[in-house]
Amino acid sequence: MYGKKRERVFLLMILPAFVGFFILFIVPTLMSFFYSLTNWSVYNADLDFVGLANYKQLFSDTKTMASISNTVKYAVLITIFQNIVAILLAVFLNKKMKGANFTKSLVFLPAVLSILVTGFLFQYIMSSSDFGLFNRIIQFFGGQPINWLGDADLALYSVLITQVWQWSGWSMVIYIANLKSIDSALYEAADIDGAGSVRKFFTVTLPLLYPAVSFNILMSLIGGMKVFDVIFAMTKGGPGYATETIMTTMIREGFNSGRNAYASALAVVFFIVVFILSRIVIIFLNRWERKIS
Amino acid sequence: MKKKTLTLLISLVLTSLLLMACGGEDTSSDADTPSSDETNEEVITLRMMGYNPESSRAQYLAYLDEQLPNIKVEFEFVALDNFNNVLNSQLQAGEGPDIIEVGGEAKLLARANYLLDLTEYDFMSKYAASGTAPYSVDGSVYAAPLQSWFEGFFYNKAIFDEYGVEVPRSLDQLIAVSKELEAQGMTPQAMGAQSWEPMMKQSIGIVNNEFYSNEDNMAFNDQFNEGEAKLSEAWLPYVEEWYRLIEEGILKEEMLGLSYDQALDDFATGKAAMWQSGPWAIETIYEKNSDIELGMFPIPGVEEGPGWLIGGPGSALAINANSKHVDEALAVLELTATEEAQHKLVADNAGSSFLTGVEVDLGEVYADSEEAFKLGNVYAPWTASWFSGNPIVESYGKSLQEVLSGTKTVEEALQDADETNQTLIDTLN
Repeated sequence: MYGKKRERVFLLMILPAFVGFFILFIVPTLMSFFYSLTNWSVYNADLDFVGLANYKQLFSDTKTMASISNTVKYAVLITIFQNIVAILLAVFLNKKMKGANFTKSLVFLPAVLSILVTGFLFQYIMSSSDFGLFNRIIQFFGGQPINWLGDADLALYSVLITQVWQWSGWSMVIYIANLKSIDSALYEAADIDGAGSVRKFFTVTLPLLYPAVSFNILMSLIGGMKVFDVIFAMTKGGPGYATETIMTTMIREGFNSGRNAYASALAVVFFIVVFILSRIVIIFLNRWERKIS
Repeated sequence: MKKKTLTLLISLVLTSLLLMACGGEDTSSDADTPSSDETNEEVITLRMMGYNPESSRAQYLAYLDEQLPNIKVEFEFVALDNFNNVLNSQLQAGEGPDIIEVGGEAKLLARANYLLDLTEYDFMSKYAASGTAPYSVDGSVYAAPLQSWFEGFFYNKAIFDEYGVEVPRSLDQLIAVSKELEAQGMTPQAMGAQSWEPMMKQSIGIVNNEFYSNEDNMAFNDQFNEGEAKLSEAWLPYVEEWYRLIEEGILKEEMLGLSYDQALDDFATGKAAMWQSGPWAIETIYEKNSDIELGMFPIPGVEEGPGWLIGGPGSALAINANSKHVDEALAVLELTATEEAQHKLVADNAGSSFLTGVEVDLGEVYADSEEAFKLGNVYAPWTASWFSGNPIVESYGKSLQEVLSGTKTVEEALQDADETNQTLIDTLN
């Protein structure tokens, strides 16, 4: 009885946050669902119901579909590479050695910078003109310059490299925190059993890194799905539509072209894609958790 | 018990504060701007939102301040990338600035009843019809044109002299000049093709020369607005002429990796002989290299001739139909329609004036373009004549990037633009 009363008080305490969340998030989200079924536009005087017309247009528009595929590709790749690099760095830098703390700070440093600043800097570093740092280095060693941001087949990966560089340090810190909590007795036992360092990594370290892995994977996946600012700074979605993502398309169609209802439909599709991807990842992570526990 | 009551009370207070914060938007904006009926003596603050920076309107804004002591114009700069986004959100909320700098979207905004009809006001009759046409819907005018904008080829006169090449007056000559410069180790043209704009404008420059130079072809724009005519049919032969610049290797795929600023750097520092842009870039060019000898020539056509510049009535000032200070906003537009104000505008940013009787001397940099100016060879169909100009040229320009990458043909790029036009016709009423 006392517990229920206490719960009520706690519920009341979260009420202000919930009201804000409801008004500023739930309501606009529901409104997007509604608007996606209309012809809503800043340039249309009347609001009419058009059924699924926006969705039909969306799925038949090759440019929008390309942006969805670019986004999924980007999100999956950044999740994989950012976490592999971060785990390797964490395991390596978690050892007691000279300069480890300094290296940790150095690797974490890019995460302190604003994404826009990093984007604009790399736009210069990867420039195809003769002051682009990367191409200067390549040419110094006798190689041919690479059109990092202007080659449609390469541009998305060039952006991806900068983001792996920027965020691996951030993930690494979370992995290190998790590594510190692993009982050293487990490694001693593995040593007695004659396990080598690779074996120890796969049988002791990795399974016990589960909490950090699940958090990091979900964070980088969702971050990757909503990528916008770095694209805006580095390629503006180009060349052509090679680096357009769901977010850049949504901004272009919704605000620049005035097709607000179409952009709402894209937002709904975005919501569903993120939901499905997150579910898949959570199912896999849960299976992994069951396996190791 | 006391603790519980206190918790409850705090929760309620926080909730009510939050709700007040959400619903309190009406109270703030009017507090410092009393309505004109009550306080004629007091200073009225007008919000003017523009996508050209305040520095490019400095003398004009100072002139307004000086001449209209009872009106304080608060200028808000929003970069073009975000301008429609910010403006449209404000207009949809029934708010927005009192005076709006409008461009390509003026007709759409007017049709959606966001702009005040200016047709009946005397000062509007002082503007040439070519200046007000882009802002007219069904015979009503909705905005007062500011100075024109134009874009052509900037060239480095010292490099042209040193390498012994002349200003080109035809596409063939442009190709020959570029090849000659390249043969001698000088980059002929810098282009920040990471933006979809330069190729779009350059190719339309050729279309201006070959297609819009014939008055009869102007009717194409009306048919295009209705979805009855297609760029992929009417423009194709001329854009294919422009494509020779790609075939001949003058426009290269590497340019897709260069931004506007990087191309400007290359040109300003003498690493490239030509760069396509407009007067707004001059200040930055001189900042980077104060010794540069600049000239500008128009985009040449297939036949030898004076060439055409891309441009037109760049932007215009419109009044928000829902403004609470319409009379004051009208006073600003009335003052803008005077010779003095027009000279201030041109002094801020070179261009010609659409106010009847205002003569402007653009100076030595533009001497090579003088003939084109005299003939009125300045045109940008997407701002002057199309309903949904910007999204269409964006789609066309992005597809031209794919043409330069080698993944699309010129015809496909034009078809993409047609498709965008059709989608917008279907979607926006």
